[in-house]
Amino acid sequence: MLLDTIETLCCLDGVCGGEDEVRDYILERVMPCADEIMTDPMGNLMVFKKGAKAPEKRLMLAAHMDEVGLIVTNITAEGYLRFAEAGGLDRRVLLGKQVCVGPERVLGVVGSKAFHLTTTEQRKKLPAVKDMYIDIGAESREEAEKSVHIGDLIAFDDTVVRFGDGFIKAKALDDRTGCAAMVELLESELPCDCWFAFTVQEEVGTRGATIAARSVCPDVSLVLETTTAADIPAGKGADPVCRLGKGVVIPFMDRGTIYNKDLCALLQRIAEENDIPWQSKTRIAGGTDGSAIQRSGSGVAVAAVSVPVRNIHSPSSVATVQECEDQYKLARLFLEEMAK
Amino acid sequence: MELVELTKRLSGLPGPSGFEEPVCDWLMEYLRPVADEVRTDVMGNCIALKRCGKPGAKLVLLDAHMDEIGFVVTGARDGFLSFGMLGGVDQRMLPAREVRVLADPPLFGVIDTMPPHVLTEEEKGKAIEADKLYIDVGLSQEQAQKHCPPGTPVVFVSSCEELGSRQICGKALDDRACAAIIIKAFERLCGEALNADVCCLVSTQEEVGHRGAAVAAWALQPDAALVVDVTHGKTPDGPEVVCSCGKGAAIGIGPNTNRALTKELFALAEKKGIPYQYKAEPGGNSGTNAHAIQIAREGVATALISLPLKYMHTPVEVVCRDDMDAIVELLAAYVESLEV
Repeated sequence: MLLDTIETLCCLDGVCGGEDEVRDYILERVMPCADEIMTDPMGNLMVFKKGAKAPEKRLMLAAHMDEVGLIVTNITAEGYLRFAEAGGLDRRVLLGKQVCVGPERVLGVVGSKAFHLTTTEQRKKLPAVKDMYIDIGAESREEAEKSVHIGDLIAFDDTVVRFGDGFIKAKALDDRTGCAAMVELLESELPCDCWFAFTVQEEVGTRGATIAARSVCPDVSLVLETTTAADIPAGKGADPVCRLGKGVVIPFMDRGTIYNKDLCALLQRIAEENDIPWQSKTRIAGGTDGSAIQRSGSGVAVAAVSVPVRNIHSPSSVATVQECEDQYKLARLFLEEMAK
Repeated sequence: MELVELTKRLSGLPGPSGFEEPVCDWLMEYLRPVADEVRTDVMGNCIALKRCGKPGAKLVLLDAHMDEIGFVVTGARDGFLSFGMLGGVDQRMLPAREVRVLADPPLFGVIDTMPPHVLTEEEKGKAIEADKLYIDVGLSQEQAQKHCPPGTPVVFVSSCEELGSRQICGKALDDRACAAIIIKAFERLCGEALNADVCCLVSTQEEVGHRGAAVAAWALQPDAALVVDVTHGKTPDGPEVVCSCGKGAAIGIGPNTNRALTKELFALAEKKGIPYQYKAEPGGNSGTNAHAIQIAREGVATALISLPLKYMHTPVEVVCRDDMDAIVELLAAYVESLEV
């Protein structure tokens, strides 16, 4: 089941540069159904599966395994951890959150002096990330160093919750929804041959996709992603970018890529023919692995299908179940179209 | 139930100021087998009594409050809930925060935040005022209005866990950790031959002005009261003057605490080798139930023993179990020391 796969994947930690846990899980799932598997020095996982037909063009679906998180930069004499962002994070979502530090998943909290002790000015502002700290309950640097180290990656500690009328909350929905769709596709009979690239380090500059695309050398690539939704009352007057419940996003462009017009038109047509609601983004924001893939080798025709997500780079990102399922459906229909 | 286990159990119960029924019900059930008498009153306080059976015995009141800070729904807009505060909530902690809306049945919700992609640099560094935030419960406007009418209380979602080897982290430790402390002391005293009657009062509505304790103290007419509440524990970004987690029971000295009683507590701590620290309470209002109890009836000899706590009024409050043990010892030692 797609939703089970999404839930399992979201519970794994894969902060940029430390995607191993996610890759190991995916590898175990897809091993029995793959015809060829490649990895590379950065940790990308590229899986080939034969389908009913061999299309003229070499196809690659892509989704990234990494998630935004933090990294330990220093340990104070009192045993608190200083940190920096690994991937683009909104510092407004950090204070008072529970996190897991390092390979031993040591529990920590992002501390902040109680607001009773702040000045009126301080209450209105957020401390800079360099002034924030994580409390792991250690009373000295020596005690802290027994379980954590400088350079340890830090992930949000959170559970998956299904709530409301068909909504799902989890960390790392960006982009485990795409990974889950690809795993489910690999486990099914495919209409045509296809490569699946599970990439690393998208959140720090689409670095994994850059080399994954060179290994696979696709002619056509579809990126399965998530995209930011600002459809909340707080954003009144501001642009919602896209809205949950209004369909998967088929972007015409974002800050990294102007997507292939023919592919976009094709995706829009098959969505409409199959009663899959879709929308385009109303603001040029964000980016995907598409930017790296498009400019690899002598150029690749690239399109994307994204799930709208609220609170996207936070421990509590929110999507609809329907749009996760529609992303999978549309990717599958796309392969069927490619087989024609 | 052992102290830490009891603390974790209490932390998880939902009970913001004015809506403490689930906490009171649980406490009464828990205390019934231990106490001679367990009752509640019109303010919802939980009152458990142990009579020593000696004529003319004095009554010692142990107090901690059961209410936690939280929110209350004020309306719905496009299905998103607007809310007001119950007690002093740090608004910097709210973006991407998970909450439990105490509707029937309770609903999971996320306080949504505008994505960073659409914010200016200036906006990213600013705290968002609570009146610009909304709770996302994944419902339509009609559903939201039906299930979460104005007046529905809301609490943080946060698991209570051990942090490092000696600390505990969770929501509502202000003041449920202290409720656990007075209950453990009370349980111990219930098994002993005493020269005084003891009342374990777990009071309501402290966070909105010490309201529950005021009426309970009137009704109970204690001869002495030991109020147990939290105080700010030292953090790397906080002021120097506060108490430290792990340094023992913080005994309050100032106009709001009885001189003779306080002196006795210091002497007892010294004699019994119970770790303690000094806490100056400069004003007439210590910001705790001692404020109300001291002036109940014709006045009550009141002492204030504080548990140092980091990150007060956040979902990740941190206390040290050693300090909790110290306060249990001190409370029990005081009652045990009383002569006929």
